[in-house]
Amino acid sequence: MAIEQIKAMQPSAPPERLQHEDSAVKWALWVGLGYLVMFGTIGVIAAVKFMIPDLFYSVQWMSWSRIRPAHVQGMIFGWLLPIYMSLFYYMVPRLCGTKLYSEKLGKATSIVWGVGILIATYCLLNPSNTTNLFLVTKGKEYEEYPIVSNIFLLIGWVMLMWNLCNTFARRTYTQMYAALWYVMGCLLWTAFVYVIGNWPSQLFSTDGVGGFSGLNDANINWFYGHSVVGLIATPGGLGIAYYFLPKAANSPLYSHKLSLIGFWTLGAIYIWNGAHHMIYGPIPYWLQTVATIFSFLLFIPVLSVVTNFFGTIRGEWHQLRTNVPLKFIIAGTVFYFLVSSQGSFQALRSLSAVVHFTDYIIGHSHMALFGTFTFYAYAGVYYAIPRAFKKPLYSEGMADWHFWLSFLGFIVFSAALWVGGYAQGQMWNDPNIPFIETVNFMKPFWHARAGGGAAMLIGMYLFVWNMYKTATVPAPPATEDEIRVAEGRGAAAAQANA
Amino acid sequence: MKILPEKSAWQTGMGVALTFVVGLTFTMLLPSFNENWSLNTLNPAGDQAHYHQPYTAQQLHGRLIYQREGCVYCHTQQIRPLEGEIKRYSIGTSLALPSNEREYVYDRPHFLGTRRIGPDLSREGGKYSDDWQYSHFYYPRQMVPGSIMPAFTWLFKDNEGTPVPTQEARDLVAYVQTLGFEREVYDPVTYNSSNGHDDGWGPWLKPQDRQASQQLGENAVNRITPGADHGTVRGGAEKTPADITTKPGLAPTGPAVPAPTGPATTP
Repeated sequence: MAIEQIKAMQPSAPPERLQHEDSAVKWALWVGLGYLVMFGTIGVIAAVKFMIPDLFYSVQWMSWSRIRPAHVQGMIFGWLLPIYMSLFYYMVPRLCGTKLYSEKLGKATSIVWGVGILIATYCLLNPSNTTNLFLVTKGKEYEEYPIVSNIFLLIGWVMLMWNLCNTFARRTYTQMYAALWYVMGCLLWTAFVYVIGNWPSQLFSTDGVGGFSGLNDANINWFYGHSVVGLIATPGGLGIAYYFLPKAANSPLYSHKLSLIGFWTLGAIYIWNGAHHMIYGPIPYWLQTVATIFSFLLFIPVLSVVTNFFGTIRGEWHQLRTNVPLKFIIAGTVFYFLVSSQGSFQALRSLSAVVHFTDYIIGHSHMALFGTFTFYAYAGVYYAIPRAFKKPLYSEGMADWHFWLSFLGFIVFSAALWVGGYAQGQMWNDPNIPFIETVNFMKPFWHARAGGGAAMLIGMYLFVWNMYKTATVPAPPATEDEIRVAEGRGAAAAQANA
Repeated sequence: MKILPEKSAWQTGMGVALTFVVGLTFTMLLPSFNENWSLNTLNPAGDQAHYHQPYTAQQLHGRLIYQREGCVYCHTQQIRPLEGEIKRYSIGTSLALPSNEREYVYDRPHFLGTRRIGPDLSREGGKYSDDWQYSHFYYPRQMVPGSIMPAFTWLFKDNEGTPVPTQEARDLVAYVQTLGFEREVYDPVTYNSSNGHDDGWGPWLKPQDRQASQQLGENAVNRITPGADHGTVRGGAEKTPADITTKPGLAPTGPAVPAPTGPATTP
């Protein structure tokens, strides 16, 4: 391991000299946590509607098909991106050895972003029946948010880029640690992907219903939809894990070379995968095949990241007993490996023929956005927020409950969908089974899914309560050592226990 | 120039942009030149005539309702070239052909979909009567026991205790009834000069299969036992406003429904 790298991983230049204000971290945190609870609750209501379809049947804005996009979009853009911002505000200044360019700009970004999500959610639940270019929800998966909220989010993102790029420019270390490349990738790719996914189809429109016809629209939709996960959620989440894993484990990164390979292959390969959402669809055969090939090439970035992370905690596995951030990162890394392998194999025509359009895919997509990236974000928050507030975490026990509820709840959730979805796909291939029988077959699995989802949601409530109490319970400023003792780990804790 | 992306934020940024543009060019820009994908490039000398005609204003408005209510989250509009799938959506001797690129040229936005919580709809037009569709939208479980589709009661207004489809519901059904009719087949035995199809081409769903399928739909309705769970059967006259507000019941047709226009009508 290179010396520069160890240096780059140090929290900051002499900590006495550099005091981080971290108020931007806190503001983005509250935006993220608020939307986590809101859209998590909506998600569980959507799951319950599978069991009781008449629940709130006459309430138009609670219709399943309206709260579903509100949940999906809200979790990605309302929870994941604000929490990424919060953790970026925490780790980028520390990795650059300088203060955040502007705390005020950071706080303003959170407000702009929060307002944009609120407007969008209102428009999704009460969709405008007009073809008003700015208000109409686009009706395409992952890009439902109307242009009016796209404007807010785009302005917010540009503010974030300006803030962080200026911080990069003022860095005191020449060498940039892997987490910084991923943050930079996330910043740029998000901007490109978000603009291309949301704007052209509306801007080329003469009547407000989307300017591209049929398959062009679908191809752009899936280029965008896949990149939302691959080039927005993935680089941001991996950047967070690259920073907080060595921090939480107190152990240097296993391999610098692997992180290089992982980052550049991620960028080069992910963008080619959009068409694997239309395997056997009405698109050219070559495009499907290209997508399948590149889906398998994704094993390169995935394996390099997973190997790197497991290498980093070798010899440190005992810490998993007590170290909550580490638990989340390692569980998230296992899920990352599983979800990426699933993704590659789902792109095979033979497997796609069975599982495409089934609940298997819903289990798969939740493993990426919840099992991996939300877990990484949880880990980052548990590590960073006590340090941002300079107070120990309010309750380690509650954090542990949060982990086990999320982890076991998610296992139940996804296993039910994988087993049920695969079986339903097989039943569909037998034309003698009426469709409604395959729906009835799925019902027990949907009950299990709602149960697992409820556990995940209870975990979210505990998490938010824990963060709220950490922020509000009065306590004298704690030093890094005191926080570590409270976390029950590290040399300081061992001394305190002795 | 020395390439040291780890030390130069500028070089990292440029690299990130470059990898993006390369992938974008090959997977998004290149396929968009496919002549079958866009109305502007569709070859008029091809067999375009046997595909879809432009939507009428009513059907376009129906599409907007389809988009607004999020139908696409549970229903795909694509038949994959798989044997089981073709057979599943076939009706009688009418074969549900796999979806073709040209079927989608008028679709803005696209409704290909990614999830089948309910069945595929790309061959739905003509499968059931308009009345069946209204009743189903009003309270799906009265038509298909076990269905988990939401009840779209707000597409109906209450007329002295009887739910009557609004213009929105009518437009939506007008759109749904076009689904699949963009896919025509060459079948001179069924389609010939005796029924106005001089060139031997006609809708994939043949008239006799369409009739049989709609009859099956009506039978299915009549099989439902009247009761608290499923509302009352179609045509049940004893409706009070209280029934409507507490439990969606049945949606009789209401005042004259305009005959479907456009491609759904077989001359």
